[in-house]
Amino acid sequence: MVAICKREFFQLLKGVKAILIILLFLVTAYYSAKFAEPLAAIVEISTKDASVVGLMFLILCFGQLFVTSLSHDSINREIHERTMRFLVTKTSRPSILYGKFFGIWLFWFVSLFISFLIISIITKQINILIFTQTMSLLTLQVAFVLCLSVLISKPSVTMFLGIIGSIIFPILGGWLVLTTNPAISWLKYVTPYYYFDKSEYTFVVVLVLAGLLVYLANLVFKRREC
Amino acid sequence: MTAIKTQKMTKVYNGVTVVNGIDLKVEKGEIFGFLGRNGAGKSTFINMLTGIAKPTSGSFTLLGGDSKTTDVKRRTGVMPDYSTFYGSTTALEHLRFFASLSGKPASKSVCMEALEAVGLAEHANKKAGKFSFGMKKKLGVAQAIIHDPDLLFLDEPTSGMDAESGIQIQRLIRSLHEKGKTIFLTSHNLDEVEKLCTRIAIMKEGRIVKIGTMDELRAFYRTNIIVKIRHSPIPVSEAPKLHQWLESKGADVQFSDERTIITVDGDKKIAEITRAFTACKTDIYRVEVEEPTLEEIFLD
Repeated sequence: MVAICKREFFQLLKGVKAILIILLFLVTAYYSAKFAEPLAAIVEISTKDASVVGLMFLILCFGQLFVTSLSHDSINREIHERTMRFLVTKTSRPSILYGKFFGIWLFWFVSLFISFLIISIITKQINILIFTQTMSLLTLQVAFVLCLSVLISKPSVTMFLGIIGSIIFPILGGWLVLTTNPAISWLKYVTPYYYFDKSEYTFVVVLVLAGLLVYLANLVFKRREC
Repeated sequence: MTAIKTQKMTKVYNGVTVVNGIDLKVEKGEIFGFLGRNGAGKSTFINMLTGIAKPTSGSFTLLGGDSKTTDVKRRTGVMPDYSTFYGSTTALEHLRFFASLSGKPASKSVCMEALEAVGLAEHANKKAGKFSFGMKKKLGVAQAIIHDPDLLFLDEPTSGMDAESGIQIQRLIRSLHEKGKTIFLTSHNLDEVEKLCTRIAIMKEGRIVKIGTMDELRAFYRTNIIVKIRHSPIPVSEAPKLHQWLESKGADVQFSDERTIITVDGDKKIAEITRAFTACKTDIYRVEVEEPTLEEIFLD
């Protein structure tokens, strides 16, 4: 698992797309921190929250798209190109899946951590709650993309569905949180966006959802022909 | 100790039975050859044993244990039939990654030894994306042996290689066998299988139709042994009697002054014939026996 995790992490770091996304994170983090005070005055939130609101907005709206663009074919590309045969003959399938998951997760953790570090250095404040909330959202997004990559065998299809999902999920999630229609508003509990509205640790539910997706992916992957 | 044991292994794809209830035992230290035409089910069978595909029914053990356990996987090396490598990763990086994946991280020198063994040392730092088919095959063999496994599955290890590289891989297989490794290989090169393998199974339409050592297979198929005898001229007084006797013992008898060719159905008759010649005061200079080759057995 560790070998696959390391490989996945470093392969992501080497990519041009990944470097561009990290740069976007860093620029957003820098300007979020720089303009935290004027923003806090306008939207009536604390400077501490205002400093990270830009980054959080970026991940809420585009996080799924970023994760999809980098990792939509994490599993199915290997099956398609038959490199997976080398992996399944050397280690267990759960090790491969968890290794991939933690490798991708680590990449996003490091990217987000550096971004928050920049904000903390500029504002001299640490916002652990929002960092963990944002990281939980990224965890769910990584789990979703990995699950998609296991369920669908063609990389081109996962790219297409991933992009569609990246556009629909934030809109649908936001609408479910705001709607008062009792017939469908209960669905907000299964979207991560609901838990970001609260300044508490209920976002742990998001991690449970991510866990369920990874569990489902593992069940399917164990039966997959490579 | 049994290295591979399968019981009623079956694989069905969309209603088509590709592997049909195979029972097989391979003992430790064997080089076991698996032969069959394209689509006979050889690769599917190997894929099931190595965890690439799941059997529809039946069970198997590798090295006396469950093949899914980490311990068994670490003691097994696999070269799958058709595989590509990571295009932007060098041969050396591949080996280091695969070795650590197998739980036995390998140093640069160990990786270089493996590359040297397959004849890829000079391409150690070349990206696999630039490799030819034969070079990928060599890297396939190197990655299978990098963690020093006890049991090795090689699916057509020399196909697509030039003659020299093929011989190098055959030498490597022999040296691994001498070290006590068990090797299960498939090949379309009958000559290679005949030379390398201690036991051979012939697969046809998902079933093993014949299994045994090369001698056992030959004995089974040896119903038409052509015996060519070079001898001194047969005395005129003895010739009619000997000719009559030979025709009763075999078929397709061809006589000439100093040469007789006869087709018999068993080894014992060869001994009887040589005794008959001697009894007829005829010296035998040479006896040539044409045995069935693996190719003939395979095509039978």
